[in-house]
Amino acid sequence: MNRRFALFLLPLAGMVQLAYAHNPICDCYDNGDNTITCEGGFSDGGTAVGVAMRIFDEAGKVLIEGVMSDQSDFTFTKPDGNFRVEFEAGAGHVIQIDSRDIEE
Amino acid sequence: MRRIVAAFAMFSALLFATAIPTAYAHFQLLYTPEAALNESRALPLALVFSHPFNNGYTMDMGEPEAFYVIGQRGAGAERTKTDLLQYLEPVTWSGVDSRAAAFVAHPPRRVTRSLGDYTYVLRPSPYYEEPEDKYIQQITKTVINVGGLPGSWDEPLGLPVEIVPLDKPYANWVGGVFRAVILADGRPVPHAEIEIEYLNHEPLIDQLRFDPEGKVTAPQGSFITLSIRANAQGEVTIGLPKAGWWGICALDLDDGLEYNGKELSLDAVLWIHATDMVK
Repeated sequence: MNRRFALFLLPLAGMVQLAYAHNPICDCYDNGDNTITCEGGFSDGGTAVGVAMRIFDEAGKVLIEGVMSDQSDFTFTKPDGNFRVEFEAGAGHVIQIDSRDIEE
Repeated sequence: MRRIVAAFAMFSALLFATAIPTAYAHFQLLYTPEAALNESRALPLALVFSHPFNNGYTMDMGEPEAFYVIGQRGAGAERTKTDLLQYLEPVTWSGVDSRAAAFVAHPPRRVTRSLGDYTYVLRPSPYYEEPEDKYIQQITKTVINVGGLPGSWDEPLGLPVEIVPLDKPYANWVGGVFRAVILADGRPVPHAEIEIEYLNHEPLIDQLRFDPEGKVTAPQGSFITLSIRANAQGEVTIGLPKAGWWGICALDLDDGLEYNGKELSLDAVLWIHATDMVK
């Protein structure tokens, strides 16, 4: 679980329940061909179609932007150096993954 | 009076001793060590036909007729089917007092690399049960999950007979209950005969044997195989008092089947997992 961590940013405690009821889920793997694929969804089985995906470098600069496909996945060319993947499905539904935790 | 009690005790002991061999249930194991994985990895499998509670007589398996896994990433997502027959390795598996033909499999990580549910399905070849002069074939499912993203674990796969979960088979706390529906040809089977056994001796895949040390002891024969009935809607509910794998077997779901000119009992097995609540 160390490769995935959700940031719960909602200011209202009452809304946190909603975030827990449908936890965001995202995982990435290295395809071994200089590309990375990330898959996403929600803990109720819901899709992540259209969820914003951003890839940042270590300085926080956005390198790649896109959205989850109709299959709830997102494939991108592996950037040089370390990077961070962000799955951003709205407040309370953000997951960040460090490139060092992405395996083949 | 004492003589009557003694005679009754001897009679009971004799009855118990003769009844035990048929009291134990045959269970097709479709075992992998973990049911709910945080991250994907290659999962080893053991396919053994045995008596899981008491590490009892292990029976020879023939070449399976089908062995595959259905993956599904999300409840409405497309199912993917991966044939696993190519990964089967015939082995000799050791029970407590018997050795028998069985199979292990080590599919690569890519088979279970995506998030979601994975339902392993095994259709073994029919087993000839000599004492009953009939064949037994147990179509078996084991459901695991990667990453907490569920698929359609609650939908039938269209098997001739199957146990369809009403609760996630891989996400059960100890002390909870598990519910399922028994289906034959897609229809519920009212009052189906059900047997339940706890996997008391953990399979040690690397050593091709069960752990000789059981986790619990049955106080009496009735507790080895729990025999119950489904209700009028073909639903079954079982309690889960202990962490680990529990096998549910619905017996003889399709009347009138024959194999090699003899009666065939077509059974459905589902393995479910219970987890302790710990910090």
